[in-house]
Amino acid sequence: MSEATEIPREHELDTSWMDNMAEWGVTAKPGKRGLTLADVQIGSYADLPAISDNMTGRPRGSTPRAEAYRVGAYQVHTLSEIWLDNAEYLYEEALQRQWSSATDIPWHTLKPLPDDVEEAECLLCTFFNEVEFVAGDVPARWIARTTPDYLEARNVLSAQVMDEARHMDVFRKRALANGGGLMRMSGATSGFVGSIDLARDFTEMSTRLHISGEGAVLTMFRMGELFGQNDAEKTMYRLCAQDEARHVAFGVMHLRCLGDTAPERREEIECYLDEAEEQLIAGQQNPAGRQSESSEALAVLLGGGSQHYDEGHKKLLVIRRRQLKEYMKRVISAGFTDRFENGRSPIPAQYAATA
Amino acid sequence: MADKPSGKAASVDREAKLVDPTQGIPEPSYSWRGLTNEWGVKVLPGAHGLRLGDVNVGSYGEVPDYWADQTRRPRGSVGRPGIPPLPYSLRSKHELWADCAADLYEEAIQRRWIPATEVPWDSLEVLPVDIEKAVCQMCTELSQCANTELEIITYWQDRMSYGYFEVKQYLATATFDCARQQEVLRKRALSNGGGLGIESRGRVNRIILESSGGWTEAVVYLYLLRGTYITRLLSGLLSAAHNEAEVFIYSHMLEDHARHLTYGYDHLKYASSHGKDATLIMQTLLAVGEGHMAAELNEGVVSTAMAIIFGGGIEGARTHGMERYLLLVRDFITDYLAICQELGIEREKTLHPVFKRYLENE
Amino acid sequence: MMVVFPSEEWFQEVRQAYNSDQGLHSGGGGACDTTAGFKVGEYWYFIEFEGLECGQVRQCTEQDLEATDFILEMPLETWQAMLKDVQANGKASSNLTLNSIDLEFEDGIARSPIDDQYRQDLFYRYNQNFQDFFDASSLVETTFESQA
Repeated sequence: MSEATEIPREHELDTSWMDNMAEWGVTAKPGKRGLTLADVQIGSYADLPAISDNMTGRPRGSTPRAEAYRVGAYQVHTLSEIWLDNAEYLYEEALQRQWSSATDIPWHTLKPLPDDVEEAECLLCTFFNEVEFVAGDVPARWIARTTPDYLEARNVLSAQVMDEARHMDVFRKRALANGGGLMRMSGATSGFVGSIDLARDFTEMSTRLHISGEGAVLTMFRMGELFGQNDAEKTMYRLCAQDEARHVAFGVMHLRCLGDTAPERREEIECYLDEAEEQLIAGQQNPAGRQSESSEALAVLLGGGSQHYDEGHKKLLVIRRRQLKEYMKRVISAGFTDRFENGRSPIPAQYAATA
Repeated sequence: MADKPSGKAASVDREAKLVDPTQGIPEPSYSWRGLTNEWGVKVLPGAHGLRLGDVNVGSYGEVPDYWADQTRRPRGSVGRPGIPPLPYSLRSKHELWADCAADLYEEAIQRRWIPATEVPWDSLEVLPVDIEKAVCQMCTELSQCANTELEIITYWQDRMSYGYFEVKQYLATATFDCARQQEVLRKRALSNGGGLGIESRGRVNRIILESSGGWTEAVVYLYLLRGTYITRLLSGLLSAAHNEAEVFIYSHMLEDHARHLTYGYDHLKYASSHGKDATLIMQTLLAVGEGHMAAELNEGVVSTAMAIIFGGGIEGARTHGMERYLLLVRDFITDYLAICQELGIEREKTLHPVFKRYLENE
Repeated sequence: MMVVFPSEEWFQEVRQAYNSDQGLHSGGGGACDTTAGFKVGEYWYFIEFEGLECGQVRQCTEQDLEATDFILEMPLETWQAMLKDVQANGKASSNLTLNSIDLEFEDGIARSPIDDQYRQDLFYRYNQNFQDFFDASSLVETTFESQA
């Protein structure tokens, strides 16, 4: 055998890209909260284009290539269309606060319930399972349509898609874990004009989904500790409420940002709020709204049984009052106060009527 | 517990009343009582809690070959006539199904990780400039791959019907994974004296994003063709990691990615055995796709960056670094052919010439 | 050693208990950044959560709370009932959690000092952390003001 040292093959290298790196010398340091997306918003990497010309899907701040394929026909490519000032914080918060329906819900605390109560709970779970389908599908659709230059906002939506999958899952599990089953669908989530998933503009969608829809559902979930019959249900609703509060926060902050940065769109947004308020008061998507199957189920649960339906219904009115109040205050926080003072919104009258 | 509840009879659905809360409490209709397809279901939590697959019992576990319903009716619930349809175009099981979807969904939740606080960022130390540039370039490249994956998943998720909610729920976790990957790669690139690199030309990104014919077609490119390569890239990066932070990042990305591939391969297996002409279509797609993948492999950016990482710098990259990268590509193609064979897709005889050369390591 | 509720000392003991054991932080908790206030009887307390820890808690004046995200205010007897329940059971029973108590009062127990619902909603977003904090008081031997 030859003792000659094997000479390794020598290869040509293309190192031209090394002279074309983007801004160099960046050293973001982790803080008390670890290394967050806010911490890496340094120098040019923090620059958010008011209008994105990113047609190739490149990471924001990377060096563009003239010959890169233009694969991104992004409908949402203007900052004001989607931005919110605390996007990076909401995303990091979502990562921190994930939970597992398989192991974080004390399923062993479920005990047999009277038929009417079990049916009511199962109907409500069927309803929430269905409603969360919208809340999962629709943000997903908008992720694909949004330029990656707005990474932080997109990531919050990705986290929402994850949250909603977990909600779908937990309600289905509850319906099938205590001697019940799924009941009849509500049909309230299907496509007709004014519904969430037919929106052709992100803000239109967000107003309906985050502010109106999820705001109302948030109150429902919080009420879960009142109508939940056992620790499993109370925990389930409480954890869902935390997630939902984050989604609502997205909507409020986006609307606030839009109102500040695109004032020419205010009247348009007011129209979306007009429609959303109609849904909030009368729509089938709100169990605490007008008489619907899910509102009856809720009244049964709040009363602790159909024999106390009236008492439950009174509690339901209290829920509705809170929904209306919190909705108004969120829209005010978003910067759209006038509508409650100039008579445009029917909510103040509804709220007064529930006193 | 009664087998089926007997509520108030409700042969006619009463019209919802408009309620003026000041006028008293409306009489409940209870029209919803008793409206269930199957009652008395009681699934108990097991050793791993109450998992999604556990509740697929009785009629609730029946996954039909075709789901005609274009509404958001939860599988197993009672339908309601007159509900307008939604554009759920994927309504055949073979268009999206994978038996492992429910399990992968739960696994993704259990194996969640938080880049901000769990990556040991303080383990990063200054690297030679050429190596730091190479690492940052790979972060840029992989971030763009993750972006493509995110965009194509979320494009199709919305079109998948709820008869196969397990798949939708699993893909929601994949969406989240992709967002997290973009996040962590950006953080790595911007935390050690470097920055982002040059964007990818996007040949393979393009063929993935242009797979508008069906989700299965997208999976062929996303997971079988490109995903198999990314596995090797991540394994290579992990083996050459420079610090604990990179070890953490690449190992967790690999775990996430492994789940994605498990779904992808499992779906293709199902599709190839249940979809008409599925393997022939996959073969055609791959014949085209290999050409684009080959062009991307022949481009110098990724190959040089990986060679620098493997070679410990530019000097080493010219020899053993590049040799190691070429072995990586050979291994990728070997894996790819093995999976194609398992799926019944003939590729070996008509494999793209560039792929053949890599296989022979010329 | 017994600590009197309400007192700054009591809150400090609870803070230490909360920070010392990750096992006290339940699923759905996690890092949060918020400042809040508690009104307990005639006393006001400031609390700050930073990341995974309760950063600080101290007695203060009402004015000191003007910049906080929200204030939790309920009758002293309700505070005592909640904490006695925690002492007895190791954690709040489901009808005596912060959320349950909030729902029992028509206007709730949480308010934003500047009436900003977005900031008040942080009570909902970080509910689990606050619950875990008060549940950690099960590790603090407590005597109540009227008993002291």
